[in-house]
Amino acid sequence: MENTMTTQANRDSSASAGQRHKIASMKAEQRFTNTMLYILLSAMAVVWLMPFVIIVLTSVRSMGDLISNGVFAWPREIVLSNFERAWNIGNFSTYFRNSLLLIIFKVPLGIIIASLAAFPLAKMQFRFNNAIFIFFLIGLAIPIHVTLTPLLVMMKQLGIQGTLAALIPPYVVFGLPFQIFVMRGFFRTVPSELLEAARIDGATEWGNFWRILMPLSAPALATLFIIDALATWNELLIALVLISSNDWRTVPVGLLQFQGQFSSQYTQLMAGVLISITPIITLYVFLQRYMVAGLTAGALKE
Amino acid sequence: MSTITDELLPNRPMRRRKRIRLTPYLFLAPALIWYLIFLVYPMYQSLVISFMRWDGLSADIQFIGVENYRRIFFEDDTARLALRNNVLWTLGTLLIPTTIGLMLAVALDRKLRGRTVLRAIFYGPAVLPLVAVGMIWAWMYNPQFGFINYVLKSIGLGFLARGWLSVYETALPATFLTAVWGGVGFPMVLYLAALQAIPQEQYEAAKMDGANSRQLFWNITLPWLREANVIVFSLAVINSFKTFDLIYTMTYGGPGRSTQVLGTWMYFHAFQYYNAGYGAAIAWVIAAITLVMAIPYIQRMSRD
Repeated sequence: MENTMTTQANRDSSASAGQRHKIASMKAEQRFTNTMLYILLSAMAVVWLMPFVIIVLTSVRSMGDLISNGVFAWPREIVLSNFERAWNIGNFSTYFRNSLLLIIFKVPLGIIIASLAAFPLAKMQFRFNNAIFIFFLIGLAIPIHVTLTPLLVMMKQLGIQGTLAALIPPYVVFGLPFQIFVMRGFFRTVPSELLEAARIDGATEWGNFWRILMPLSAPALATLFIIDALATWNELLIALVLISSNDWRTVPVGLLQFQGQFSSQYTQLMAGVLISITPIITLYVFLQRYMVAGLTAGALKE
Repeated sequence: MSTITDELLPNRPMRRRKRIRLTPYLFLAPALIWYLIFLVYPMYQSLVISFMRWDGLSADIQFIGVENYRRIFFEDDTARLALRNNVLWTLGTLLIPTTIGLMLAVALDRKLRGRTVLRAIFYGPAVLPLVAVGMIWAWMYNPQFGFINYVLKSIGLGFLARGWLSVYETALPATFLTAVWGGVGFPMVLYLAALQAIPQEQYEAAKMDGANSRQLFWNITLPWLREANVIVFSLAVINSFKTFDLIYTMTYGGPGRSTQVLGTWMYFHAFQYYNAGYGAAIAWVIAAITLVMAIPYIQRMSRD
């Protein structure tokens, strides 16, 4: 408010003819810069979109058409059987089911554990508060690689090696640092008076957590849910090591398997890739704002 | 009445204090226990394994001291090549996607028509599974039918066409270029957030004093991006040393072993060559590097 007023005052006082001319030329210059930028950005956008165009063009045609006309030609005939074959032969229904199951079990579990931990870190004073927070943050820099062999041994001992259940513990653990960080940041924005008032009315900390903090954090929880679901859907290395049977492969591991099977059936290969990324792209188109907001929230503090 | 209060009084503060002392740890317990069992303990075990010769399966485990680490740095040419590739990858990531991301952020911070769509396009590849990204680009680079060679041939540069991923000189750069495609989104989004936090009065004031746009960028914009830089650079380094998916999908470490990075070389040893001890040592080299590089990042994140 104050700023607009100052600018307004400045503008009025300096609105001589020369100044006005200068402003006009600046505006013209700006319009020119914007046009140039626009052309440049559009060209870049075309480059960035090209791989998507190529996979669509590849997956909707026959192999013969592809070989004789090249990848960039318009398909002579739209062939949708590639998707059908990829879905059936490539076992995608199994991979989709597994990845979805993982998301359903793993994501809420991880977010609840992280939120529980974030509550005292954000709202309670105790001796090791900061030390524990940093202890969790260090997890952000730990490469998955350094836990793989012992995890494999551990899952064998637990008798769940090779199944989806084996993925849940490491997936939860590698999500915790980021989620604790985000939830702690969010909980800190909730006024402490709210919790204090409830305490005076006899509420327990447990009750405060579930009845005040969690409902107020719905936007942060939704963002974390989306980001974590995405990370779970995309994760390769842990699944590659811990999953051995075809019945429990997740989408990325399944895709690799599929690549091995169809290495030169490019049209079906790309149909499979397109199938595997369609859910994400759909989600992205509708929820783009949340995904992006969450990533920045995690890295930069408001 | 009064006796009851008297009886209760000495107890109350004590119970209260006790509750406050224990409660935080009760809330922290699930996360801490999970973290200790499935992250800290495996890390520790990995460290122990890294001093052993072990195939990862049998009971035949032999303590060999720092032998595995000595091999990494003084004997195993591929490990050193992998380390070099990681360093190159890191330098490339610090330079290319970061700069493009910054330029895009500056451009898309202006009130351009369609900027939301443009942002979505440049960030888009970042949400895809890297396996899919790798497969898409392996197809783009395909020697016979791929789009890259198709373009080169159709603009008269057919002599440049080659099997990008199967030639020694181009395999790593081609894979890296794929990472650039997926990697400009994150710095762009971070820089955009940072740019939006810059108070506009600073620009207005500097313009009044006759500063040109280059001066504005160097003297106002860049200093305000310092915080974002710490995060972008740290994550670039950390993630570069964790690189696995793209290499594994696109080149499988080849041709020869020319595109091995520490992440894939560790995987091959631990899970394909049955050298669990050696694999664990490589993993710990990665961890040591990322943990050291993360110090400024973690400092920044834990500051209030």
